[in-house]
Amino acid sequence: MSTNPAPTAAQSAVKDQIREFILENLAQPKGITSFADDEALMETGVVDSLGVFRLVSFLEDQLGVRVGDEEINPETLKNLNTIEELVIRKRKK
Amino acid sequence: MAYILQQLLQNSAARYPEKTAVWARGRSITYRELEERSNQLAHLLQERGVRKGDRVGLYFPKCVESVIAMLGVVKAGGVYVPLDPQAPADRIGYIIGNCGIRVLITRTDKRRGLNEATLSSLACSILVDEAPQACNGAGMVPWAMLAEYPAMCAPQVTLTETDLAYILYTSGSTGRPKGVMLSHQNALTFVEWCAAKFKIRSEDRLSNHAPLHFDLSVFDVYNALEAGATLYMITEDLALFPSRLAGFMESQQITVWYSVPSALTLLLLHADLRADKLKQLRIVLFAGEVFPMKYLQQLAERLPHVELYNLYGPTETNVCTYYQVERGRLAGMDKLPIGIACENTEVFAVSDQNEMVTQAGGSGELYVRGPAVTYGYWADPEKTKKMCVPNTFQPNFEEKMYRTGDLVQLAEDGNYYFLGRRDSMIKSRGYRIELGEIESALLSHPAVKEAVAVAIADDIVGSRIRAVVAFHDGVSLAPAELQHYCGTRIPMYMIPEAIDFRPELPKTSTGKVDRAQLAQESQQLAMK
Repeated sequence: MSTNPAPTAAQSAVKDQIREFILENLAQPKGITSFADDEALMETGVVDSLGVFRLVSFLEDQLGVRVGDEEINPETLKNLNTIEELVIRKRKK
Repeated sequence: MAYILQQLLQNSAARYPEKTAVWARGRSITYRELEERSNQLAHLLQERGVRKGDRVGLYFPKCVESVIAMLGVVKAGGVYVPLDPQAPADRIGYIIGNCGIRVLITRTDKRRGLNEATLSSLACSILVDEAPQACNGAGMVPWAMLAEYPAMCAPQVTLTETDLAYILYTSGSTGRPKGVMLSHQNALTFVEWCAAKFKIRSEDRLSNHAPLHFDLSVFDVYNALEAGATLYMITEDLALFPSRLAGFMESQQITVWYSVPSALTLLLLHADLRADKLKQLRIVLFAGEVFPMKYLQQLAERLPHVELYNLYGPTETNVCTYYQVERGRLAGMDKLPIGIACENTEVFAVSDQNEMVTQAGGSGELYVRGPAVTYGYWADPEKTKKMCVPNTFQPNFEEKMYRTGDLVQLAEDGNYYFLGRRDSMIKSRGYRIELGEIESALLSHPAVKEAVAVAIADDIVGSRIRAVVAFHDGVSLAPAELQHYCGTRIPMYMIPEAIDFRPELPKTSTGKVDRAQLAQESQQLAMK
């Protein structure tokens, strides 16, 4: 478990960007208008088999992180929180 | 020789009682357990009033209990109806009402999501999640109750191969899904052909990628049972992650794989699919949509040791033609044939002049006859009459043949090639989608005056969907609101990914909505 201090402005901006992308491109086209930060995106159908790769392309193209095939897994892409963690972890490297 | 599906299990349970029959979500059951649990379920179902021909819904995510439930229902003489666990409650409610399901095998959370009206139409819900404390209401039966019923034999029911085994609902053009009725004979005709053609053996390890309401799963489940092989069910979470999925194929040493082409394309693009890691894999079957040649060529190169087959057929016939990929010819091909008829099935093209196409180069609508063909659609004699027509090509006895609605061409070498559809049905990820069903969903919103759904060709999934909508005067909605509304009526894979708004839809000279123009404009918008 991470015991991060209060998120910096840059960090929460990342989360907002991811949330906005998922909402506009993946959730709304499936009739889903909102989701919580810890909501399991695969279980509710927000992210489907193609959505996974649209999301990964977004992380790579817009947020500038490289995501390996092995990192495309149900743990790292579970919910908004875990996706944000992935981006932050990758940027630190 | 089996003439009803449960005999496949009975035979294998006698031969391989301690062998693993089904594996899912880290749990497995042996053939003996599967035989016993399904016997117990059949007794329970009968006690709860299920009689020969009664429909029983299966409404929960894939797990070991799915196969117990399928077999338990047919052993009770019933007809099982697999329901998409991700479909909206409204659609599930429609299906439950349409085929008169009174007993539902489900999970507590799934049951909770159903509408009041649907719940009150049910006499009994059997809950597969273990917690019996959840079953406090009347008509709620915990799965653990099975233990109280006889395990050694199934109840006495007289069935013949012509009795119904299951109903699969597919998209309907008039806005509601339609139930394709399949008999034991329909299923076994296909299963027995596959068993002989692909030489499925007891050592085989079959994957089950398709959802159970999708007819590809019929092969996985029943050909595993037929051979005494092991079925490895791929759950939704695993199916989404190609790298994990490839790891699963490797660690479970899958020998026979069957899925839609798009699942294979994603594995190719995002997983380390290597022959040395998948040594056990011997057969890959694909069906449900057109496999883009460039990806098929890559697959053939990456897995040189695997036999590849393109299977073709609508739910109404299961598979009716097949083509074995010839690696030597692949480079020069720009299109993959759907091939030739399976055994015990006849297919032929019928021209617009209503003549059978016999010359190479000729084209027409593909018709299918034989014991694999459905009786028709549940409680829809009109639709049945339209699609299952009298065979006028032979005068000696009454017989039906199925019109697929697919246009095909007969080639020199005897293979058929798929050309396109006669109507507005499309395929996306192998799912059959009637654009009319999407349009009905849009039009059912009070603000919507006109609506057209358009398919956009896509390399990986086959088609993506957009819509163009005009509102009544003085009202408007955001695309997200309308998409949300659609989500209460149609499954997610049918909801348009983008909705464009117009004051009015363009018309042709005859006053009809100009679909061709809208399709072209939408295609351009989608490219942006």
